[in-house]
Amino acid sequence: MTLDWSVVWKHRDALMAGTATTFLLTIATMAIAVPCGIVVAVLRLYAWRPVRALATGYVELFRNLPLILVVYWAFYVLPILTGLGLSPLATGLAALSLNVSAYNAETFRAGINSIRRGQVEAAMALGMTRAQALRRVIVPQALRRILPVLASTWVSLFKDTSLVSVIAVTELAYVSMQVRAQTFRVLEMLTAMAVLYWLLGYPQAKLVDWMQRRMKVTE
Amino acid sequence: MSASSAGRAKAAGAKIIRYLDVVKRYGEFTALEGVSLDVHAGEVVCLIGPSGSGKSTLLRCTNGLEPIDGGDIEFEGARLPRDERALRAVRQRMGMVFQSFELFPHFTAQQNVAEGPRTVLRKPAAEADRRATAMLAKVGLADKAPNLPAALSGGQQQRVAIARALAMEPDVMLFDEPTSALDPETIGEVLNVMKILAQEGMTMVVVTHEMAFAQRVADWVAVFDAGRIVEQGPPRQIFESPLTDRTRDFLSHLGWSG
Repeated sequence: MTLDWSVVWKHRDALMAGTATTFLLTIATMAIAVPCGIVVAVLRLYAWRPVRALATGYVELFRNLPLILVVYWAFYVLPILTGLGLSPLATGLAALSLNVSAYNAETFRAGINSIRRGQVEAAMALGMTRAQALRRVIVPQALRRILPVLASTWVSLFKDTSLVSVIAVTELAYVSMQVRAQTFRVLEMLTAMAVLYWLLGYPQAKLVDWMQRRMKVTE
Repeated sequence: MSASSAGRAKAAGAKIIRYLDVVKRYGEFTALEGVSLDVHAGEVVCLIGPSGSGKSTLLRCTNGLEPIDGGDIEFEGARLPRDERALRAVRQRMGMVFQSFELFPHFTAQQNVAEGPRTVLRKPAAEADRRATAMLAKVGLADKAPNLPAALSGGQQQRVAIARALAMEPDVMLFDEPTSALDPETIGEVLNVMKILAQEGMTMVVVTHEMAFAQRVADWVAVFDAGRIVEQGPPRQIFESPLTDRTRDFLSHLGWSG
């Protein structure tokens, strides 16, 4: 078998654009899923009982569905639910956000629970409301504590964005598959894809490790 | 056991906190079985007694961290509210110092002290900072303002915690075993700050195992045992001529010779 690597270089523009979309998807998903995760975690912990149950139901539903199923589901159901003709990108973003928010909610819940009770009591003793105690005292500490978990979620998410290729979001995986289909250069394109994902993913993981060391709170 | 006002130097001051037959239960366990005690303005009242006798529980009920199951607590003439919003207003008037400091570890000493004025009293940042600087100076830690709690010794952390409570300009300070988690060599610096506060006329309720502090600084001492106050009176009475065997046993257990 002869390998022709020039196919990768020839389609570099498309691959770059796909990479940009992959980054955009990852960043946008996290930008949505971190605040949503905090809100859902707080609802699960402190809200009025029925709301709490609803939040728990949401987390348990989306944590236990295969992401690819959620992607398809969003593609077919969201337009019916919202009455909007959403772009593949927006649909993919919605599916990823639904999934990652559920994971983040669990992460935040564990983080909030790990802050000892005395911290809330100290905040309450100052006269803070529960919301102020959460915002000023508990969540910032929880955030630092769960940074390693968020980091691995981020790195997983970066790779999992490839799943939205099934609904034709033109991110890195979709573009690579397109090139493969047009050129029949299967091994070259799969290898290129692997190299690109790894080269892009590894520094991100290291960067988050570094952030985590820097932001570490010692007690 | 009824409190006699005889020998109570500051009894002329208004009763700022009144515990009236306070009952507190945790499930089957009764932590407080009808505790009555008055705290007058400007007084230092020390709560002593064996571990698990209810003294910390009473302190935690004072600012509503724990709700009570019977009796009443009055603060500045009004019943302690059950409603969270009203309770917050009361808590702003009561500073609390915890055994385990409970400084906010992600804030510097300065930020810890400024946090109450800033977030709770909604003071402008500059004013909150000014107050924090003044309070840190008061507890002798002006130079530690930029340090995170992790970089401070236990005694320093507890002094920052006192400054944090004082920054709210409270009417009463509640101390829950403030020196129990400290190394022996740093206990003195915390007790000194508390003595200065007492001399300045701060009303203080102090749960403590430091008998020397109670004897020297307290205006009134209440001895707890099994959820009750078995004896209360001026320190001279408690430490020199206790009226009950239970007080005598407790003090002799600590090696107190009077």
